Amino acid sequence: MTDEELLDAFPGVRIDADNAAWHRGLLERRLLVNRCDDCGRWHHPPRPLCPACWGRSITHTEVAGDGFVVLVTALRQGPPQPGVDYGDGGHALVAVELDEQPGLRLAGTVVGTPTAEIRVGDRVRALWRDIPGRLPRADFEIVAGAAGTGRVAGGEGASR
Amino acid sequence: MSARRNPAMDQVAIVGLGRSPYARDRKGCTPGSLVSEACVDAIRDAGLGPADIDGICGSMVSAQWIQAALGIPGVAWFANPQAVIGNQITAAVAAVSSGMADTVLVYHHAYRLPWASRSAAKDPMRRRATLGVADARSWWGTGHNDTGPNSLYGAPAYAAWAGRYLHDYGYTRETLGLIAINSRTNAARNPNAVYTEPLTMEAYLDGRMVRDPLSVYDMDIPIDGADAFVITTTERARDLPRPPVLIHAATLGHTDYGSEEQLRDLDHAGQMVVVDRLWAKSDLTLADVDVLYPYEGFSNIALSWIENVGYCGRGEGGAFVADHWVEAEQRIMIHGRIPVNTHGGSLSEGGTQGAGHLHEACLQLRCDAGARQVDGAAVALVTPGGYYFNSQGILLRSDDT
Repeated sequence: MTDEELLDAFPGVRIDADNAAWHRGLLERRLLVNRCDDCGRWHHPPRPLCPACWGRSITHTEVAGDGFVVLVTALRQGPPQPGVDYGDGGHALVAVELDEQPGLRLAGTVVGTPTAEIRVGDRVRALWRDIPGRLPRADFEIVAGAAGTGRVAGGEGASR
Repeated sequence: MSARRNPAMDQVAIVGLGRSPYARDRKGCTPGSLVSEACVDAIRDAGLGPADIDGICGSMVSAQWIQAALGIPGVAWFANPQAVIGNQITAAVAAVSSGMADTVLVYHHAYRLPWASRSAAKDPMRRRATLGVADARSWWGTGHNDTGPNSLYGAPAYAAWAGRYLHDYGYTRETLGLIAINSRTNAARNPNAVYTEPLTMEAYLDGRMVRDPLSVYDMDIPIDGADAFVITTTERARDLPRPPVLIHAATLGHTDYGSEEQLRDLDHAGQMVVVDRLWAKSDLTLADVDVLYPYEGFSNIALSWIENVGYCGRGEGGAFVADHWVEAEQRIMIHGRIPVNTHGGSLSEGGTQGAGHLHEACLQLRCDAGARQVDGAAVALVTPGGYYFNSQGILLRSDDT
């Protein structure tokens, strides 16, 4: 796929050389997250160097998309978008901490569970859906039987 | 190099205050019309004219534009840091204390963009003002290019962190409600406030939910309006007509977790950097503070500021506010004497990202706050901004303390 085709696939999005691989991955239903070749640390959103060691040799490396909910809100209003319903408890919006590294997070929605039932700590996994008119992206679903089993400690601000 | 170093302490003062009055919908206004009105007002308030201004530091409207619009003949220093107001204040203090400029005009405006209010979204000229980009910060190339309802960038993350705060510390929405009611109660005595009718807890809890757990009452009021400030040396300030408001210490605060959903947790926010620096640079302590201005563009931010400036421990802000709530007055009075956001804040005066908080703090220290004047107010602590790229602290004192 050429750069021009990539830009055409994401109209209105500021695609550049630093984040192109992430967006190419989304088109292939893969989560390609920046990983430093020197120290092995991951970072997101994509940057041109490793914040931990300043290494500039970065490999766009696939993550499984498994993790747990660290933040959750329900959007009761917003711009119309295919596949988004702001009614009935609101559109779920979460931050998911990936298993690959503490603090490595993606934002997205959770499908298959009523918004009001999503809790901090719920185990989730990535889910890919074809929604006509929506830009390609990963969603999440709660792993059955694993609600609330994530690594989040409540109180004392102790998420680590 | 020490975090304590503060050669600018009390050497720079705010000598002029100006405003373009806040309104829910100013027909026919532009960012330039709002900012220019506030700037003219501030320069006149300082007893100065255009030839006295040799530095300009504003937010979105360019310094060159305002210089030409106001006919300021010669400017030796200018800058346009991004919002919020502490960025302009700290830059202006640096310019004046270093001698880059003697008298700096500072300004910030709020102009309702389509994502900020429904009526603004119906205005085709306002729609065009965002160039069709969902998150305006993507202009800046900061990597914030995820859009719409599946992104936590911007306002949704404040709601998510508010939910996390309630979750971690076992609070309910009533805790947030006290911040909203406090602002509304204080706004009743502020003629510049856009919402002044009393707010009950029952009405608060019935408020239309926007992003759980934040309702319309937890989110700053979109307005059109502007603030401006004239800043010069304290030495020169003493020859000008208004009582000088001395900038005792000012700081910004960032952590390396600068984007919303990547913030490690609320114990590693920009606020911690601000507070550590601010008190290290200050000869004053929290016990000296007479009036407190924690930003509450989202209600939960104010709880975090109250904790982090030192009134109580992390997670204790909700309990602290409840303990210092005066039921008969329907507002917070810390230790029975320190009111919070005496102007009504972003939740009731109108949302200007902390510029209104700074304006009010200056009015109080000039004994110029009308019916809401706090007797003997001599030290004000202003903490604009939220958790990420915008945490700021400004400690102000009157000249006679």
